[in-house]
Amino acid sequence: MAALLEMKERMIRFYGKHEFWLKPIARFLIALAIFMCINQNIGYMSRISQTPIALILALVCALAPVGLTVFLASAVILLDMYALSLEVCLVTLILILIIYFLYFRFAPKNGYDMVLTPLCFQCGIPYVMPLAMGLLRGWYSVFSVMAGTVLYFFLHGVHENATVLSSAAEVEEGTVSKFVIVINQLVDNREMYLVMGIFVLTTIIVYIIRRMAIENAWAIAIISGVLFETIGLIAGYILLEIPDKMVWVMVGNLISILIAFVLQFLFFNLDYSRTERLQFEDDEYYYYVKAVPKAIVSGMDKKVKRFGSREDHLTKKKFAEEMGIDEELLD
Amino acid sequence: MVNEERLRHMLKISEFDTYEDKGCKPMTQYARKDYISLQMIKSFIMGTITFFLIAGLWCLYAVDMLMKLVNSMDYKDTLTTVLTLYAAFMVLYLGATYIVYQMKYTAGRRKVKSYYSNLKQVNQMYERDERLKNAGGTDTES
Repeated sequence: MAALLEMKERMIRFYGKHEFWLKPIARFLIALAIFMCINQNIGYMSRISQTPIALILALVCALAPVGLTVFLASAVILLDMYALSLEVCLVTLILILIIYFLYFRFAPKNGYDMVLTPLCFQCGIPYVMPLAMGLLRGWYSVFSVMAGTVLYFFLHGVHENATVLSSAAEVEEGTVSKFVIVINQLVDNREMYLVMGIFVLTTIIVYIIRRMAIENAWAIAIISGVLFETIGLIAGYILLEIPDKMVWVMVGNLISILIAFVLQFLFFNLDYSRTERLQFEDDEYYYYVKAVPKAIVSGMDKKVKRFGSREDHLTKKKFAEEMGIDEELLD
Repeated sequence: MVNEERLRHMLKISEFDTYEDKGCKPMTQYARKDYISLQMIKSFIMGTITFFLIAGLWCLYAVDMLMKLVNSMDYKDTLTTVLTLYAAFMVLYLGATYIVYQMKYTAGRRKVKSYYSNLKQVNQMYERDERLKNAGGTDTES
């Protein structure tokens, strides 16, 4: 254990020292994985589904905020769908807009959570996402897991039915239209509802237990989450009569539990991911400060602060009074 | 010599300026009621677009059925159903907006208050330094 802690200390020091480079590199790798995954599975437009294009896009994403990664990934998906057929492209556009309006309206900074979910699905370990979200994020992260799950199952369904959906395929008289086939990937996908329901409940279970004032709350949360996920999914797959997925549920959950414990080891004691570099000055000095905050597991904050009973328009005077400062400080 | 106490406050101020300023700006500009109202208006527009997108998706899905029913359809009933669904959707969406932005405003306001408290402390420290400097200067002159 001492050796592990020492290694962790070294990792923290290394991260603190090279944070300036490590962050863009991590963003680059995540973006590259996303674009390569899109190219491999739904790369129907050969012009953009090439490794050099993926590398260029990932490089742009490395230097830009997360919003751009989500936007570029959406754009690439739409172009691929357009190459497949106009109907699929239209439905995908509507789906992306719905996700944007329903989800990003409330949590615009959580783009990575949503794009990582389909990526984990592709790697065969989607079970790690509810655990990670419950451990590292708030209850609202269930929405990112839901959005990511819907997107994955939709694109997976399109991939599976690509031959029928392609522009070349003609719709015969009496058969269902391409719109119906593509929307059925959402409406008539019972596996998607099962996985989404189990993931939402797992995220909430992990989040609630992790915040409990009990010893080893994180470990108990991880184990409970994995047990619920495994049993729930296996039971669901039996009910849906998809037995061939049960073995991978167990293997995937075993891998996920290992990843979750690595996350606990890395994030529980010291939150070095929030290392901050600040620069300011006063009359006598320039300050270049690097602050590495200690991880504090705060309890439930039940204190409700109300700012005034009357809710009039905000004036400078009123604001200064409320903040307990001189009005001149606001000039 | 670096004043550690002042440095600590300045660090907090700078931290806010760097990471929170943009997100907390509305909390310094609007009263809670105005802020929530603004968000509700935005959500009303976005919610309406979302509802019609979902409705459009459903129409694409059920286009065959709609084509069959188009002649025998009771338009008054259909309109009532659509409006009821729209109202239910908007109640949910606007309700979520209200709760989420109430929480955001409360959290943001707490951060802003802490920021101004730090600003006030630093200001007082500088004023005290200034007074001491002036007092020292006066002593030397006398």
